[in-house]
Amino acid sequence: MKVLIVDDEQAIRDALGRKLRREGFDVVLCADGLEGLRAFHAERPDLVVLDIIMPGGMDGLTVCRRIREVADTPVMMLSAQAITEEDVIQGLTAGADEYLIKPVRLNEFVARIQALLRRAQIAAPENEQGYNDGYLTIDLHRRHVHVDGHKIHLTPTEFKLLAVLMENAGRVVSQRDLLEQVWGHEYIDDIYYPRVYISQLRRKIEPDAANPIYILTEHRIGYRFEKQSPTTPKSD
Amino acid sequence: MSFFNSITLLFNGITLALSLSFLLIILWQDTRQELNQFFAIFLFLVMCWNAGSLLAQTASLIDADLSFIKIAISLMELGFTGSSIAIYTLTAVLVRIHTRRFRWLAFTGMALILAYQFFLIVTDAPIRFEQFDAGIFTYQPQPVSAIFYLIFDTSTFYLVWRYRRKIRSRSLVVGIVLFVIGQSLGLLNPELRALSISINLSSFAALMISFSILRQEIITPLAERVVQVEAMHKVSLAITSQISIDTVLNQIATQAVGWLDADGSGIFLNRENELELATVYNLPRQFVHRRIALGEGIAGKVAQTHQSIHVESYPRDWRGKDDLPLAQETFGSVICVPLIYGGEVIGTLMVIAGQQGRLFNPNDVYLLELLGSQAAVAIAHSQLFADQRAATLQAAAARSQLETVLIGTENPVIAVDRQLRLIFANPAAEALFSIQYNARDRLITEIFPANTLPSNFREVLSELRRNRTHVYEVSLDNKIYLCHLALLGRPRIAGWVAVLNDVTQLKELDRLKSEMVRMTSHDLKNPLQAAMANLDLLRDDVWDSGNSEVQQSIEAIEKQLERMYRIINGILDLERIKTGTQLQEICRPARLVEETLEELQHLADDKAIRLDATVDANIPDFMGDPEQFKRALINLVENAIKFTPSGGIVTIVGRQNNAGVLFEIKDNGIGIPVELHTQIFERFFRGRQKGVEHVSGSGLGLSLVKTIVENHHGRVWLESQVGAGTTFFVALPGIAVK
Repeated sequence: MKVLIVDDEQAIRDALGRKLRREGFDVVLCADGLEGLRAFHAERPDLVVLDIIMPGGMDGLTVCRRIREVADTPVMMLSAQAITEEDVIQGLTAGADEYLIKPVRLNEFVARIQALLRRAQIAAPENEQGYNDGYLTIDLHRRHVHVDGHKIHLTPTEFKLLAVLMENAGRVVSQRDLLEQVWGHEYIDDIYYPRVYISQLRRKIEPDAANPIYILTEHRIGYRFEKQSPTTPKSD
Repeated sequence: MSFFNSITLLFNGITLALSLSFLLIILWQDTRQELNQFFAIFLFLVMCWNAGSLLAQTASLIDADLSFIKIAISLMELGFTGSSIAIYTLTAVLVRIHTRRFRWLAFTGMALILAYQFFLIVTDAPIRFEQFDAGIFTYQPQPVSAIFYLIFDTSTFYLVWRYRRKIRSRSLVVGIVLFVIGQSLGLLNPELRALSISINLSSFAALMISFSILRQEIITPLAERVVQVEAMHKVSLAITSQISIDTVLNQIATQAVGWLDADGSGIFLNRENELELATVYNLPRQFVHRRIALGEGIAGKVAQTHQSIHVESYPRDWRGKDDLPLAQETFGSVICVPLIYGGEVIGTLMVIAGQQGRLFNPNDVYLLELLGSQAAVAIAHSQLFADQRAATLQAAAARSQLETVLIGTENPVIAVDRQLRLIFANPAAEALFSIQYNARDRLITEIFPANTLPSNFREVLSELRRNRTHVYEVSLDNKIYLCHLALLGRPRIAGWVAVLNDVTQLKELDRLKSEMVRMTSHDLKNPLQAAMANLDLLRDDVWDSGNSEVQQSIEAIEKQLERMYRIINGILDLERIKTGTQLQEICRPARLVEETLEELQHLADDKAIRLDATVDANIPDFMGDPEQFKRALINLVENAIKFTPSGGIVTIVGRQNNAGVLFEIKDNGIGIPVELHTQIFERFFRGRQKGVEHVSGSGLGLSLVKTIVENHHGRVWLESQVGAGTTFFVALPGIAVK
């Protein structure tokens, strides 16, 4: 497994790198965003760790967005800038799968990386056919999603989330259950993860993200996937 | 000779007629008065004497029968001796000796004389007189009469001399003395013609006496009444004219002296249960402001007993403490009356005669009490007036001060009445809103831009009624103002007043501060991350090598780094809660407590502390941010665990409190001294008590709790006993149960 670490602080970068190597990872270290993006294309890592505030005109958020344009490689933000929830949400909406706030202990860091990798590799259940109503098509097995005939790109976390909701279609899935099933039980307290990802998903699959018809919010309980009748034409 | 006689007769007749007429006037004025009665008796006896002498002379001139002469002489003798007793009694009445012995003496004397004269006539005793030619008539008075004369006239002399100060009229003294001399002359010269000179002298003296009595009893009182009325008038004027207290006191002191013909006076006023000499008349000015205790001196005694005191001689009759220095040496007769207003003694009025001055009598006491009652009213009124004026001046000063402040302040101030019409705007407000001078009484909605007024009037008004104050932000001309609304008038609301505070700079400063906190904590977090990461690596590398000192060092560094981390996180949490938006969701207390317990069970187990929780079933829900509020609960419980020794108990209680929610977090730990109860909610405050040195923390936990609870419109406080434990209370307004 190869991990790309982009952080302008050498002492942090080196320490994280050393720890991951000890745990048996291949590690690539970069000191700024541009270098990191180049390394991403050159090295094809399985996971990227990004600092947010970095010199050189390209911050972690930008790097993450650029990666998301081409790949759904898991991205972990590791930032000291987390004053408000908005900072975290901003990071997640940029496409990150994980937002860790500095300082983080190395053992936890490793555990989170392993969890993230695990999540990305989980295969879809064999027995599920997927879903097709003419507008939205989900192929769980091949991990393909089509909206109105166009294939759309989902990050591993987004896909996992959609899959869990769809498996429970018609039933409400609580935030805690979502966190546990999608992210793992270590994440049980990171309650804004589902909120951010649900809104990302809606933007991608709903005909009108402001008035969702597939992913519905059960106020203060959780979310529910609602199947639509295939005959309903869905176009703006 | 007969010419001389006729002149004598004429003179006698006129003086006696005058005396009689005076007697008539006096008796007509008041027959019941003792002095008048005794004077009438005296004059009657003088008449007897005169008539007897006249009859005797006449009888000798016309060679009348001897028995007739004898009767005339008896009459003369009776008159002579009787009048000497009468002059004595009259003098005694004048100087007011009212003993039983005196009356007994007087009446016995009279009775004896009458009996003796009657005895002489009845026994036909020989009368020693010689009759010469040309009417010369020599008469030898009876030895008994001479003895009477000697006893009573000497007594009279003694009385006049002894009590000379009591007889106010000089002419009265002269009259009495003259009368006694006249009688002596008659006694020494037995010749009847010479006797007639004595009679003339005595008649004249009687005239003087009667005139003096007339003056003393009628003319002087009338004149005095005029003075008294005038004095009363002046005191009354003083009452109504609302002049200063000092003038009133001076007036009263002066009037009292003039009224009683005294030598000096002083007014003591009651101050904090002491008497202070407030003003003097004809007494040394340095005595003013001297104080004497209640019950001390005549003035103190009068104030204590509410009774007037009258002494004829201060050094002789007053046995108490002296009122003033040198009182023993200089004071003679003294009257002191209480000044009573509304049942309270407000002071005393003391009038003093010098040791050579006059003696006061009970009538003077009565007069002074009369003056005193008026004076009390005058003093009380002028004091009230002075107090009122002082209060008015104070109010005016306060008002002008307030006006100056309102006009001078840079903060715009606006007041409106209940109909929301403008009633006041200070210059700062006029400038800010370009208010015209004629804007008064216009509706505020016509004067002020809509964005400066509260968006929901009804809500604001109901909040004002609840909390008496409401604050909202106003943006005007690129500036931000905090508008404080408050009620005008109490208890009835007369309107509202708004004070605007320019907080633009403060807002900017606050933003800068937040920015700085953000930057600083970010800049601190990176080194912290580097240090921690490397420490973790180091620990992996060397921990198993087993060097205990190295292990200790690693643990120490780790602990310090953790602490630094907590501090930074604390600052950031506080900042986040202060600036961050807060969710408004329904929070279920039972759920929050349950989650809090879950979170901290581990910590409590580590310290072997029992963690209990009871939440009432009927506890209401409340509105707020559940995560944020749980944070506050966690902080409180975590604190309780930290400051409770192993084996202790920490209890969380949630229950209904009126319509709201009350959380109690109770421990049986070390307790918090009462002087720290407010301080502990301040940022970076850490208890320095014994037994907490080992406890780690950022000093921000309770500050965070306070901020969160206040964000939820609640209140947090504590009760604690050092050594016994602490209970934190969090009260929040609940929402109505559906």
